[in-house]
Amino acid sequence: MKTYYKEDLKTSFIFLLPVFILTLFFIFIPVIATFINSFFKDIIFLNKRFVLFQNYFYLLSDSGFWNSLKFTIIFFIVSVPLEIFLGIIFTLVLNYEIPYKGFIRVCVLLPWAIPAAISARLWELIYNYSYGLANFLLLKIRIINEPINWLETGFSAFVALVIADVWKTTPFVAIILLAGLQAIPKEIYYQAVIDRANFLQRFFKITLPLLKPAIIIALLFRTIDAVRIFDLIYVLTKGGPGGATTSLSLYAYKYYITGDFGYASSISVILFIISFIASIIYLRVGKFRQEVL
Amino acid sequence: MKEEKLIKILFFIATLFVLSFCLIPFLYMLIISFCKSWDIFSLKEIEFTFSNYIKILKDPSLHCLDYIKNSLIISGISAIFSVFVATLGAYAISRLDFPFKFSILLFILASSMFPQISVIGFLFKLMKILNFINTYQALILPYISWSIPISLWIMVSYFSKIPKDLDKSALVDGCSWFQAFLKIILPLTKPGLVSAGLLSFLFSFNEFLFALILTIDYRARTVPVGIAMFQGLHGELPWGSIMAFTALSLLPVIIIVTLFQKHIMQGLTRGAIKE
Repeated sequence: MKTYYKEDLKTSFIFLLPVFILTLFFIFIPVIATFINSFFKDIIFLNKRFVLFQNYFYLLSDSGFWNSLKFTIIFFIVSVPLEIFLGIIFTLVLNYEIPYKGFIRVCVLLPWAIPAAISARLWELIYNYSYGLANFLLLKIRIINEPINWLETGFSAFVALVIADVWKTTPFVAIILLAGLQAIPKEIYYQAVIDRANFLQRFFKITLPLLKPAIIIALLFRTIDAVRIFDLIYVLTKGGPGGATTSLSLYAYKYYITGDFGYASSISVILFIISFIASIIYLRVGKFRQEVL
Repeated sequence: MKEEKLIKILFFIATLFVLSFCLIPFLYMLIISFCKSWDIFSLKEIEFTFSNYIKILKDPSLHCLDYIKNSLIISGISAIFSVFVATLGAYAISRLDFPFKFSILLFILASSMFPQISVIGFLFKLMKILNFINTYQALILPYISWSIPISLWIMVSYFSKIPKDLDKSALVDGCSWFQAFLKIILPLTKPGLVSAGLLSFLFSFNEFLFALILTIDYRARTVPVGIAMFQGLHGELPWGSIMAFTALSLLPVIIIVTLFQKHIMQGLTRGAIKE
């Protein structure tokens, strides 16, 4: 049986109290409230009524919910691997000894550092039918013969969202991977050069395997973020055309603003469970062990 | 030697690709914001103008400066409090002995991965009861709480690098815990404080969903929502003004990233990976 000093317990409690109060009131209690609310019919101006699983039964037969679940899953399956792939290229560039290294790092950080809602606005202009950069460039190099109405068809809107998301989040992946890359001892590479391993061999036999832990961490961070995506879609496509790009967050949001809190809560709970499973995997794989303390 | 040259060329091309990929949307934003017409591709010559910037600065009905002011105040206050609160907590976690320490840390860290949408129902009702809707408090309180996990994690990792004997000897010399914390530990963790503060600031500056739901107008609305809601009078979006507004409001972010690139990268990787 471990004993604790009374003085220690008292001091640590006081030091941690603000953290507890804030996270409790603005993260944990709200989440629990949403869980409880999902068992109620809670529509604004109407009486709240306990309905047990009725909201969840509705979900099962709600094609809008299934569509947004499908979109959310396809979106992360397409965008996250792309981000990891580009992230590796970015990392190699960031790690290479070139002049103006600091400048390049600042440029790479910028897309990540700006608000997603603002980046959505930048891309909205780029995708503009008549004076957007995307159509202009594609017409110039003759990939297309006439301008594309990017945000008007389901498929092109999806492509547009993926590109904008990849632009915004690849820098983050690159930074996480860079830390992993710099942890690889240089001696391994010297030995490989002596053994006449060429660049590609060095990359596939040394860099990639040793980068694996960092890749897994980036993968899981990105998965959690991609699953709850809201800002970018809200501004760029508003979930359209015809609900084709509605993510789970956006679908829940639409019910919140119409005042149907109960049903919106049940959608949020499903999203919460998906992210929660992802974060458990992350904490397991990320080797968060007691030894950090 | 041939291979080395090839690699050099390859890296040169890759660097160009990375730079243009990252910068083109920003350059396009700047060009449009300084142009008289935003249909720049069909024009023979592009006319340079400041009128977009003058318009968003002069027209009080657009509230651009209000949004920027709100964003800076809200994010600044949130960052300061988040770091302060997280530093106290991280100090307890790394220096003091108490039960369920590791579970508490994991629990708080996991909370940063929750989807924001799963708390807004409660937050909206809470802020309504407190009469906080459309005030700074409505955003500052959730922003502090949601940036605590990353700040806490960064500070814990910095504290755990400082040898424990250092503050123990201070305690032997008759300092209280609080004095030891203030005089010995805090000065040594300055880079951590900066990293945590900057990441919290950027989190609050960029947050969208809470600001969308908990604010109504220019009195508390922040930049991301302001720009997302920017509408033209007759359906057609005034892209010149929007891009001028965007460029202006990104200025703080660009300055921060340029000055503190190293701190931000360090904070991010400490938040994600433990070496």
